[in-house]
Amino acid sequence: MADELKPDELLDKIDHTPARGSWMDTSVQIRPGMYCYAAKAESVETLGLPNARAWNPLEDDWKLPENWQEILHNGLKERLEKFRTFKIFMDICVRCGACADKCHFFLGTGDPKNMPVLRAELLRSVYRNDFTHAGKILQSISGASKIAGNRPLTLDVLKEWWYYFFQCTECRRCSVFCPYGIDTAEITIIGRELLNLLGLNIDWIATPVSNCYQTGNHLGIQPHAFKDMLDFFTEDIEEITGVNVEPQFNKKGADILFITPSGDVFADPGTYTCQGYLILFKYLKDKYDLDVTWSTYASEGGNFGFFTSHETMKRLNAKMFAEAKRLGVKWILGGECGHMWRVIHQYMDTMNGPADFLEEPVNPITGTKFENAKSTKMVHICEFTADLIKHGKLELDKSRNSNISLTYHDSCNTARGMGLLEEPRYIMNNVCDNFFEMPENTIKEQTFCCGSGAGLNAGENIELRMAGGLPRANAVKYVHEKFGVTHLCCICAIDRAVFPTLMEYWVPEVDVIGIHELVGNALILPGEQKRTTDLRMEPLPGMEEEEMEDEDE
Amino acid sequence: MNFSKADFIEKLRKNREKIINQWFQAAINTYPPETARILDKSKNKFDNPVGCVTKQSLEDVWDKLFHTLGHENRKNENIEQKEINQEKIEEALDPVIRIRAVQSFSASKAVEFVFELKGIVKKIIGTSLNSSFEKKVDEISLAAFNRFMKCRENIFLLKATEAKRRVHKAFERAGLVKELTEEQLLSSNNKT
Repeated sequence: MADELKPDELLDKIDHTPARGSWMDTSVQIRPGMYCYAAKAESVETLGLPNARAWNPLEDDWKLPENWQEILHNGLKERLEKFRTFKIFMDICVRCGACADKCHFFLGTGDPKNMPVLRAELLRSVYRNDFTHAGKILQSISGASKIAGNRPLTLDVLKEWWYYFFQCTECRRCSVFCPYGIDTAEITIIGRELLNLLGLNIDWIATPVSNCYQTGNHLGIQPHAFKDMLDFFTEDIEEITGVNVEPQFNKKGADILFITPSGDVFADPGTYTCQGYLILFKYLKDKYDLDVTWSTYASEGGNFGFFTSHETMKRLNAKMFAEAKRLGVKWILGGECGHMWRVIHQYMDTMNGPADFLEEPVNPITGTKFENAKSTKMVHICEFTADLIKHGKLELDKSRNSNISLTYHDSCNTARGMGLLEEPRYIMNNVCDNFFEMPENTIKEQTFCCGSGAGLNAGENIELRMAGGLPRANAVKYVHEKFGVTHLCCICAIDRAVFPTLMEYWVPEVDVIGIHELVGNALILPGEQKRTTDLRMEPLPGMEEEEMEDEDE
Repeated sequence: MNFSKADFIEKLRKNREKIINQWFQAAINTYPPETARILDKSKNKFDNPVGCVTKQSLEDVWDKLFHTLGHENRKNENIEQKEINQEKIEEALDPVIRIRAVQSFSASKAVEFVFELKGIVKKIIGTSLNSSFEKKVDEISLAAFNRFMKCRENIFLLKATEAKRRVHKAFERAGLVKELTEEQLLSSNNKT
């Protein structure tokens, strides 16, 4: 027995490093908490998209059409011909790895298949196998796939596509670091489009898309309920300010049509941002006779079609120009949203334009021409408000936000997608005294995603969301500890919906707020009563005692 | 070879960096090799949050452990062993465990790295471990498990709260819950 190892020695010999194998050979493990539920059949049917049926990602049988490989092969072929960027992105990656550690999902999950290079390689390996000469030749030689990085499209590969293309928020941080400028978001976009050819969408995208197509917004809120919510805000604002800010709906001949994500109307704390818009429009009406209308038809700025397919995005987006035309407004103003702006800024004009029935946007109060919106005819509300402040057109009382210490999360789509970096900061600095930036490698072009964009803000994938939001939360935690930051400000409806939970897990002391909520608090409405609370009905700084007395009465 | 307790502690003190570095390696080696390489690369805590937070957390835990051992030694070697402060150790472990609780680790894999400390220290010091030290590592392991469970509970509570809020909002819109505020709804859950 002398040669037997003692327990301690035995323990020393155990290698805890996970077994190594090529990423190509390992099959996907779909883990609850990391994926979103499968699209409901009826939601897929609404838009006439293929293969609507009930299915479950955890089951072996995904109920695919018999010729699913052929469908995908043809789909891939069609897209390689149609989108030159996609073809280039498939060919030119040298796998240098510059993008590898830039993805929030990789950083948070530690799963190598979330490295942008490897996520793209899931699709690229099939492209090489089926569409390149080298791949075709090497197919027949055993073991050669390792050299060319090619592999056939099997069911395992398909499942891997599904799992990982729905673990990418299309935030494009990786593309900032790619020496070739490969936009991995576009690869994900095409990847998801291909999956949709087999009816493999997630429900958190498919049902909002279906709702939006039928009733005009993601939540499926009908026009009267949409109006009810804004009326409800109007009552609250009247209680706080003493001013009736009642908005206009579907008004023909108004100057400006305002469109915002429906999350602002229905999801806290976005609702307070929405109240900020109402206060601003009332102010501009009273002071400068600016005529802004809301629409119950174009009642959604967001566009989950963007996460389904180009065609679906186009169909949902069409209502913006259609409504602007019907109402005969001069131009369109858009609310605080993320992906809505990527769609407007980069796709709308060529998809559903030209909007030659609209005027080139000019701020009628300041005379500023919004050159960047010359073609789309749609202006971001932050540009609009920043311009008003710059020209001294808004009377603001900063002290109403003096109990707030702010930091700012650049939403991926507005920062990287359209370069909106300074306007939000300009507004924040004009409505609040305490503003602190997060470290530079986590903001502006390098901003870290919230971890829940691109249709991944569901409830069932909460672990994915908490992991994906880790790098962002890590930077928030830093400014909270260093500068005493109390509020994370953002200009995206998805951010506002998901950050409260993300903060609750990683930095529970930090609350979430939108820019126009801050504006709504600071803006002095003509004829307003002495305000004692902010829009959340919390006492304003210095008004705590008065509020207590009021409550006692 | 037998060391006195004072010698043992002195050796630990001298080898702090080495022990922490090897412990950190053991912790990041629980990730796939491609990931482990990256976690060890950048020292910038925003470019490499998981690597840096893990390292920092292990340093904090080590210092707390060492402090307790040193404290014990200074007082009297024969008196009953001073218990490690569970609450403080859990706090020190929180950053690393909070991360591992949302990653693909099973409960045992998530806290396994703590046990590695015994083997690492033994290898570096070159002697069998002091029983008090071993016991404290066991206590840290239990604290890690406690914290892991708290984080998991936190995640499920957040998930439930999100769902409740969503349902409540829908009911409120339909005019069905005028009397019940969101705070009441959520706090009633906490009481049960």
